[in-house]
Order: sequence, then C-alpha cells, then structure tokens
Amino acid sequence: MSGLNHATGRAIARKVLTYFSFFCLLFWVGFPVYYMLITSFMDPPELGAKPPNWIPQQPTIENYREVIIGETGQRGDYGTTTEFSRMMPALLNSTIVSVAVVFSNLVIGGMAAYAFSRFDFRLSRAAYLGVLMTRVLPALALIVPLFIILRKIGLINTLWALIFTYTIFILPLTIWILREYFDTLARDIEEMALIDGATRWQAFRMVVMPLAVPGMIAVGVMSFMEAWSEFFFALTLTNSLTYPPLLMSFRNLHQVNWNALAAATTLGVLPPVIVAFVFQRYLVRGLSEGAVKG
Amino acid sequence: MASASISKGTAQSRKHWDRKWIPYVLLAPALITIFVIIISPLLTTIYYSFHNIDLIRDRTTFILFDNYIELFTSRLFWKAVEINLKFAAIVVTVPTLMGLFFALLLVEDFKGRGIGRTLLILPWALPWIVIGLLWNWLVNAQFGAINGLLYSLGLIDKYIPFMANEHWALIFTALASAWRQTSFSAILLLAALQTIPEDLYDAAKVDGAGMRARFRFITFAWLRPTLTIVLLYNIVLGFLQFDAVWIMTQGGPGDATMLISVLLYRYSFINFDLGMGAAVSNVLGLITMGVGLIFVRLIYRSQSTYA
Repeated sequence: MSGLNHATGRAIARKVLTYFSFFCLLFWVGFPVYYMLITSFMDPPELGAKPPNWIPQQPTIENYREVIIGETGQRGDYGTTTEFSRMMPALLNSTIVSVAVVFSNLVIGGMAAYAFSRFDFRLSRAAYLGVLMTRVLPALALIVPLFIILRKIGLINTLWALIFTYTIFILPLTIWILREYFDTLARDIEEMALIDGATRWQAFRMVVMPLAVPGMIAVGVMSFMEAWSEFFFALTLTNSLTYPPLLMSFRNLHQVNWNALAAATTLGVLPPVIVAFVFQRYLVRGLSEGAVKG
Repeated sequence: MASASISKGTAQSRKHWDRKWIPYVLLAPALITIFVIIISPLLTTIYYSFHNIDLIRDRTTFILFDNYIELFTSRLFWKAVEINLKFAAIVVTVPTLMGLFFALLLVEDFKGRGIGRTLLILPWALPWIVIGLLWNWLVNAQFGAINGLLYSLGLIDKYIPFMANEHWALIFTALASAWRQTSFSAILLLAALQTIPEDLYDAAKVDGAGMRARFRFITFAWLRPTLTIVLLYNIVLGFLQFDAVWIMTQGGPGDATMLISVLLYRYSFINFDLGMGAAVSNVLGLITMGVGLIFVRLIYRSQSTYA
C-alpha cells in the first residue's frame, strides 16, 4: 500500500513540476509579446500609467488604423503626423523581396543541389566544401566591399540589391538541405525514367521533385523568414526600403509614438509568425537538418 | 564536345554526353553569384586590412600589418573583447540551459504541450530588430514592463532606468539575444529528444536503472551531439550579434555594450576607416571560423566513436 502511495505521490509531484515549468515557458515567451500587444491597443496617455494597466482599460484599434493609413498623431498626442507613412510601402517591399528570395533561392539552390547530388564531375567535392564554408563567414565582415560592388553595378538602394544578396547568402544552407533530400531519393527510379526515354528535366519534374517537396517547403520557409527579418544589409544597402530598417529609424526619432510603433511592429511580424505557425513541422525539420548537418 | 555530335543516337551515349556539361550549367548561377557576392568581398576585406584607405583623398597605401598592430595595441579593442566575452557568456549559458529545460518539458506528455510547442517557435519567428524593440519596451525607464511588474509586486517604489546603467545594459542586451536563441536551442534539442527510441528506456527499466541513471546514460548521451552543436551556434551568435544590441543601445551607455561587431561598425561606418574596419572583420571572422573548425572536428569525432 505504502509503495502505491509513494508512486502516486511521485506522479503528483511530477505533474506539479511539469505545470510549473509550463508556466515558466508561457511567461518567458508570452510576457514580452503580451506587453507589446497591449501597448498596441492603448491610447498614448494610458501607457504612462503606474502601475501599468495589464489589461487595457479602453482598448482601441486607433493605432493600427493610423499606421495603415499612414497618419499618426491625429489625436494631437504627438507632433509629426506622417512619420509612419512609409510603413505600408515598406511592408509591401518586404513581401516582394521575401517572395522573390524564396523562388530564386529554390531555383538556383535546387539546380546546384541536384548537380552535386547526381553528377560526379571535376572538383565537385572541392566546390561543395567551398560552398558550405561560406556559411561560417560573418555577413557583417563583408559589407564594405559588397557595398562597393553593388554600387558599381548600380543596385544600391534598390530591392534588387536585397533580393540578390539574401538569395546568395542563404544558398549554402539551401544547397546543403536539398542535396541531402536528393541523395536519399531513390536514384534507380530516376534512372529507369531516363532509360524509358524521359529527358533529365522530365525525370526531375515527374520523379524527383514530387518526392523532394517537403525539403523544398522547409527551405522555402526558412528563406522567407531570413529575408523578412534581415536588418543589417537592408540598413546599409538601402535607405530603409524594407520593414526592419524602417522600424529602427522610428526608434531614433526624438518623439516617437510608442503605441503606434507597437502597432506597426505587430503588423510587421504577422507574416513571419503566420508562416512559422502554419509550416511549423517543415520549419522544425529544416532547422534541425540545416543546423545539425551543416 | 566532339562526342556530342557522334552520340546523338542511343540513350546510353546521350547520357554520357549529358554528364559532361549539365552539372556545370546547373551550378553556374550558384557558383558565380556566390563568388561575386561572398568570395570577392572576402578577398577584398583581406586586401583592405593591409592598407590604409583614405576616402577623402581617394588614396590607398599598403601598410602591411599596421592596422592589425594598431588594433591589437588599442585599449578600445581589448575593451570590446572583454565586453564581448561577458556578453557571450550569457548568450551561451542561458539559451543552452533554458533550451534544454524547455525541450525536456515539451517532450513530456501533458495537456498544453501542443500550445507550448507552438509558442516556443514564436521568439524564433521574430526578427532580431523586433527582439531589440520588444526588450526596449521591457526595460524602459518610463513605462517598461519589468519596472511595471516589479512595481506592481511592490518590490520597487521608483522605476529603475536600467539602460543608463552599464551592467544592466550589458545584461539586458545579452538576455534579449538569449531570449530568441533559447527558442532555437530548444527546437533543436526537442527534435533530437523526439528521436530517442522508447525501448531504450524500457530496456533500461528492465535492467533496473533509476531515473537519474536513465537520464544520464540515455537522454543525455543521446542529446550530446545536438548539445555540442547548440553550444557552438550560441558561441558564434555571442560573437556575431549586432542587430539587437544596435537597436537597444548602439553600444552605449558609454561603451558598455560595445561588442566587437559594434566596434567594426564604428570603424567602417562612423569613422569611415575602412582599413581598420577590415582588420576587425578579419579578427571576427577568424574567431567564428575557429569555432566552426572545432565544430567540424567534434562532429567527425562523434561520428567515428558513436556511429
């Protein structure tokens, strides 16, 4: 009997510990995000409350409306009224850049990964290792020459500069992950298709690609997140065309409407957060495959 | 390509013909662009670091190691190294330990696990720049959430201007980085935990292994390769972090959060001393490459001993 009690006692202790830890997780992740969210639903005067209102007393969507139409401070709280007018164009630019990066990365990276996986050619191993080595280079360290090169080509302060650089910086990871996928896909089926008279392209499209879809989704999602979030290149190569450097520029204003900033921040993180939640499974897979093997 | 014209006939020889040029064509876009955007700037950075670059008079003079000598004898650099080591210490320990803690929690079977796993991804899904802003809100001296919380709990009666204090500024910039990196670490560790075969535990139970022994010899042993990788990623972040720190403090107050990366930015974009900036870049690059090499060696060793 006492043994049984001992066992249930331990089960209860374990449960209590589990839920206590779960609470820690919720607090650790949730508290910062929750505070940004309630700030975005408050009127500026309420933000100064001491102690803070942990639940907004008069929740409002005014901040969101003002950020979306690009005119903040209409309620006379803060001086300038147009500082946020660049927000929606920046979100659009971020979308264009991210989507373009996903596709160009999949095409260029997919081609290279397929070549590494299926062909034995001179210097194949050296080229592969070379490509992977570029992953450990700090992007920060390359910025000055990169700036000069892009200025020579005339791409400074264009979305092309970002699409170009993001695609290339994520290529090594893409090639790594997709090559692993291509390697595990049965070669013989593809060979059979080739012998049956299919061209390489047909064999690739009908046999290899359908099987590699999970890997391609994982890579696509990761490159989307990367392109959406990138700050440093966007800051130095463009005049705040995309969302991250634009957010930074608000931070430097003397009188920033913090509530509008919270609303703008929230709007801007919706795309990556939604993508991450929807493709959670692929993302975790891509992350662990990319990290553990790369 | 002489064989091309002869071989048009059979499938077998067409394949041979394929093999010669197809891989090069497939690889060309990737290799050429990687060369232009990554390799050539890398070579240029190395070249710059041995030169004095005078942007105003548009003159580049070869000075061999002078930039490096100036760097290694400057107090500013060693200060940045010291600050960066403290910063990295937090960015390495906090995410690794908390990541392990959350991963072990989320592999348990309990109500709310699904929510926990989804929420875990949230910090990772946020851009660094947003992490910086988020933590600015937390530590703000007028309306910050941490001040608010301490005040609500009655622990303080006056808001603390955290970011005006050198120590708090360094701790909070490091914690902000740790916050996102914890999720990354936990995601990797959780993925590894989920691959542990259940029968290992059953077999150990049959053999009479206690909980502690099971953790040590199964869970921990299984996680070791992933833990190593997580550690190395966290070390690299500890030395390469820039975005979140830049938005929170821009290196301040004073020089309190001047990481090596911040120093690099100052040299290149504030003083416009490209030669010195390149020298700092190369030092930083060597540190991360060093970590990368350790990483490759460890993986090789773990493969040869465990596999």
